[in-house]
Amino acid sequence: MTVHRKAVLVAAAFAATAALALSGCSGGGSTSAALDGSQLLTIPREDMGTFDRNFNPFSNPEFPMTQQAIYESMLVYNPADGSTTPWLATEWEVAPDSMGITYKLREGVKWSDGEPFTADDVVLSFDLQREIRGGFDYIETVTAVDPLTVTFDFNQPFSPALLDIGQQIIVPAHIWSEVEDTTKFANEEPVGTGPYTEVISFQSQSFDLGKNPEYWQPEKQQIEGIRMLAFAGNDGANLAAANGDVDWAPQFIPNIEEAYVAKDPENRFYWFPPTGSMINWQFNTTKAPFDDADVRKALSMAVDREQVTEIGMQGYTSPADCTGLSGSYDTWRDDAVVESCTWTNRDLKGAGELLDAAGITLGADGKRVLPDGTPFAFDFSVGSTSSDWVSVGNVISQNLAELGVTVTVAAKDWGDVVAGYENGTFDSGIVWSANAPTPYQFYRGAMSTETIKPVGEQTFDNYHRYGTPEADALLAQFAAAPDEAAQQAAADQLQALFAADAPLAPLFPGPEWGAASNARFTGWPTEENPYATLSTRSRTTVLVLTTLEPVVAD
Amino acid sequence: MGYMLRRFGFYLVAFWVSITLNFFLPRFMPGDPVSRMVARLQGQLRPDQIEALKESFGLSDAPLWEQYLRYLGQLFTGNLGFSISRFPTPVVDVIGGVIGWTLLLGFVSLIIAVILGNVLGILAAWRRGGALDSYVPPFLIFIGSFPYFWLAMGLLYVFGVTLGWFPVRHAYGVGMTPGFSLAFIGDVAYHLVLPATSIVLVSIGGWMLGMRNTMIATNAEDYIVMAEAKGLGTNRIRTNYAARNALLPSVTAFGMSLGFLVGGALLTEVVFAYPGIGYTLLSAVQNLDYPLMQGLFLTITTFVLIANFLVDIVYVRLDPRVRVS
Amino acid sequence: MSLAQNPQAMAELDLGSAPGPDGQPQAAPPPPRKRGGGGLLRGLVGNSKSVAGIVILILFALIAIFAPVISPGDPNLITGMGSQPPSLEHWLGTTAKGQDVLALNIWGSRSSLFVGFSVGILAMLVGLLVGLASAYLGRWVDNLLSLITNVFLLLPGLPLLVILAAFLPQGLGTVIAVLVITGWAGSARVLRSQAMSIRGKDFVGASQVTGESPLRIMFREMLPNMASIVMSTFLACVIFGIGAQAGLEFLGLGDLSTVSWGTNLYWASNDGALLTGAWWVFVPPGVCIALVAFALALVNYGVDETTNPRLRRPRRRTTPDEPTRVAASAKSSSARAATSLKEQSR
Repeated sequence: MTVHRKAVLVAAAFAATAALALSGCSGGGSTSAALDGSQLLTIPREDMGTFDRNFNPFSNPEFPMTQQAIYESMLVYNPADGSTTPWLATEWEVAPDSMGITYKLREGVKWSDGEPFTADDVVLSFDLQREIRGGFDYIETVTAVDPLTVTFDFNQPFSPALLDIGQQIIVPAHIWSEVEDTTKFANEEPVGTGPYTEVISFQSQSFDLGKNPEYWQPEKQQIEGIRMLAFAGNDGANLAAANGDVDWAPQFIPNIEEAYVAKDPENRFYWFPPTGSMINWQFNTTKAPFDDADVRKALSMAVDREQVTEIGMQGYTSPADCTGLSGSYDTWRDDAVVESCTWTNRDLKGAGELLDAAGITLGADGKRVLPDGTPFAFDFSVGSTSSDWVSVGNVISQNLAELGVTVTVAAKDWGDVVAGYENGTFDSGIVWSANAPTPYQFYRGAMSTETIKPVGEQTFDNYHRYGTPEADALLAQFAAAPDEAAQQAAADQLQALFAADAPLAPLFPGPEWGAASNARFTGWPTEENPYATLSTRSRTTVLVLTTLEPVVAD
Repeated sequence: MGYMLRRFGFYLVAFWVSITLNFFLPRFMPGDPVSRMVARLQGQLRPDQIEALKESFGLSDAPLWEQYLRYLGQLFTGNLGFSISRFPTPVVDVIGGVIGWTLLLGFVSLIIAVILGNVLGILAAWRRGGALDSYVPPFLIFIGSFPYFWLAMGLLYVFGVTLGWFPVRHAYGVGMTPGFSLAFIGDVAYHLVLPATSIVLVSIGGWMLGMRNTMIATNAEDYIVMAEAKGLGTNRIRTNYAARNALLPSVTAFGMSLGFLVGGALLTEVVFAYPGIGYTLLSAVQNLDYPLMQGLFLTITTFVLIANFLVDIVYVRLDPRVRVS
Repeated sequence: MSLAQNPQAMAELDLGSAPGPDGQPQAAPPPPRKRGGGGLLRGLVGNSKSVAGIVILILFALIAIFAPVISPGDPNLITGMGSQPPSLEHWLGTTAKGQDVLALNIWGSRSSLFVGFSVGILAMLVGLLVGLASAYLGRWVDNLLSLITNVFLLLPGLPLLVILAAFLPQGLGTVIAVLVITGWAGSARVLRSQAMSIRGKDFVGASQVTGESPLRIMFREMLPNMASIVMSTFLACVIFGIGAQAGLEFLGLGDLSTVSWGTNLYWASNDGALLTGAWWVFVPPGVCIALVAFALALVNYGVDETTNPRLRRPRRRTTPDEPTRVAASAKSSSARAATSLKEQSR
């Protein structure tokens, strides 16, 4: 057989096989099955290229839906409206000296394997959490007073504990006490109290969760189940959202009006409540001249936060104020401080005056020089994969150039950037802050001396290494506060102190990304009805899961 | 035989050097897995939890040499440890879960590109100066000059999104259970079309041009003239003399490409959300996931070496001149 | 990396004949010995494909050099006019951040071409040194260098790129260094096998006998005879440099503060260009990269045809049975080699 004829035969065989294979396939592509109410809530996960079957909530807490649909906590705090919803606990009582809390658990709750939910489960859960993941250092003991009552005793007054403890997920003691190595336990068939606990199918590119047959709110299990899809980056997830292949899109979508909403404006919407952590421009206060509060304020005044949020963040968020508090703390915000605030508004003239007073003057070439004659130029660190923050950096660099200060955007690998933060070798950079239910952790990380570590020693908090004794005193006052009013008073003073000292330059509250479509499910939280956020990774997700209803087409 | 033994010994040494490098290099990177996790979770990880994390990840403070020896020992017992970025899934499970798809995509693309490219190259050399010879190779080379992720995205948006002819993500339709049914295999093939096409488009030009040049050069060799002089039939000369020798460089290149299949076509997998090993590798490096990185490097190195070794063996069978040296 | 962009495989495929004694494919028989690469250059200028390629390259080089003059404004200027389609004011439209696409790509040519050619030259130089030394200096050196080459070939490219990119400080220098480190091994292997086959030629032995120093032999005797392979390898390395830089930057691992075709693609993807239908942001950088890579491939084509006359396009269609007519006499290769040997031993 000649080469020529052989080649043709091979090609023909190939084509035949291909045709055969293709003929065996189903419609493929996106399914638009009839809406009969049994459709699964489809959600993309954009940062995990593949799924590994592990539902261990302690050693693998970021796994989709483990802490949201399978396991639940005693209460749910909603940062979008500041409300607290009792969940596995119905009432609670804080000890008068803030040295303990007692929770009364809900009656009639069962695990998905039929066993009753009791206080022993709570006790074991906290033991496991502290053993595997640490934290909760202020807790002395956890006691099951009776099957439906749990008491926590602290070794120091800690008023933020109510929500801190309340939002810890609870696992079944009768299963976990039998596990040998709780850290490495894969928990492939999870048993939980949540609305969707049954693993119907699991593959590396997607998995399905079905209803919990023993759920304590069966009337709220209106959707049939949840389907998670794996993507290796935002692009794939955004494409799925734009195509209508997913119902919920909790990832960053660039140009969301055109890319997402415009394709189905009747059903699709987005809502980015500013309840993420505050995003700051931090300065390394161990390096002069960043140790001067006026210099920090001047640099902050040169930033055009309107431009930063409009262009850098595509208009998805709004500028911060001098309290440094993100949108999740709106109920704590002291308006007096906000009104008297100056250094988060753009004021080139005022900034110039402050710098002049600090000895950083304009040279002949329009660039500022430090008192020792060297030019005032420094780096702005940011991780290269966060393209929106890199854009922010570019805008800030352009803004500061008008002040005569040269800011160079150093976009590197995030690990590299964070290593610089941890060791205190950076100049300045963009950084997130703590976002716990109360502002205590935020201010502690911003200006407490307890969180400062010297340059060269690795730290995971207070990278800018700033702290004052006044802040320590106020924080202690907050922790020991016997009631909410006392907490608020301490918070007001903390805000005033933050505005005076400017340890960080807050830029904008990080938006909680969230977009959804009413095409297949209705009942989403919105700006008008903020009963939860549109995040799939927060405690409020379970509120959404138990409120959604499937659309039934006639 | 001595030749084979020498090659084998050489591969062993190369293997050992590679895994040693793969162990030490990542550890020279700035930072450690925990601080990378902090960066990744931006504000969701509490500072008071870090110590416990370090312990559960098994990050020891023992000197590097000790860790290296322990690593070698574990290697011999087949224990690749637990992945840090996908804690607590064992490394073997992580790799095992994804490598199949990468091999499928890579292998199918490679086979198609090789067969089509070589066939086209032979045909082009057949009719020198014809349309196939003059225009097709430059055209294919031009197509192959585009960055392959650009081609992948272009294909995705034109054929997948705009025209809707092919699926735009994943290895098979969501909701289908993997199995050996015709429907499932058909679905997998349907999902393979776009990703495989992008890889084929990029590489086919090289194969075609190479085969064409080789065939032309081979056609002018003395032994071809000799065979013609002896009066052998054209077809026999084509297959047993010309093509057989012209295939040799292709075999080498094929073997090399086979080895590198396992590294995965990273960007193609990202663009098409294909659940393969490429993205796992990138995220392992970015998260400084030492055990997973070591496991992946080990897998890739092993595959490349085995492929090279197999190519050497096949080459010796195909070309006896190599034995005589 | 595609096969077309893999310098080692590409070069191996271009070699048309039987493998040498060590199992590595050998080069096509080298052209009769001439002074330097004069014959090669003359041949290139006469070949239509390589002329086309050279013209395209010169065009891009001019764009890069005269970027400040021809660019319609500062590419870094962030304005509020995002995602405008091509218009009279912005010939190629604007990006989501309001930057002019034409300006971005004109300025981008500087970085991309600079990195591409630097990587090409450096990787080829390193490969050349290693290959020549390996071939000429013999046993110990050869074994050691071969081992190092093969280890580098085995190391998976992308992870090595990521690790190195995180290691070293930001900047184009780092990108170039990283790409050279991951790319030199391919050319070293090819150049070594070519050098080995030349090493065995009689004229090298003659030079040794007349007492020439090893360095002089390597660079004055062996190197000129490898001109065509060196050229091919250089071109393949440049293609690799440009493509790999684009890939690195697309992943966000390159130097994001520079404007280059790769970073333009990165921003196009991150600002959702294709998702919103803003194809004008996405298409130009890809086309530019393709044109430059294609131009280099055309020059490579020309090199092949110049040094291996059989590859030249015949004036009329032929079948494989007909001997290819070439400008030189239709003597067989061995006869030609015999003639050249006679010339050299004079």
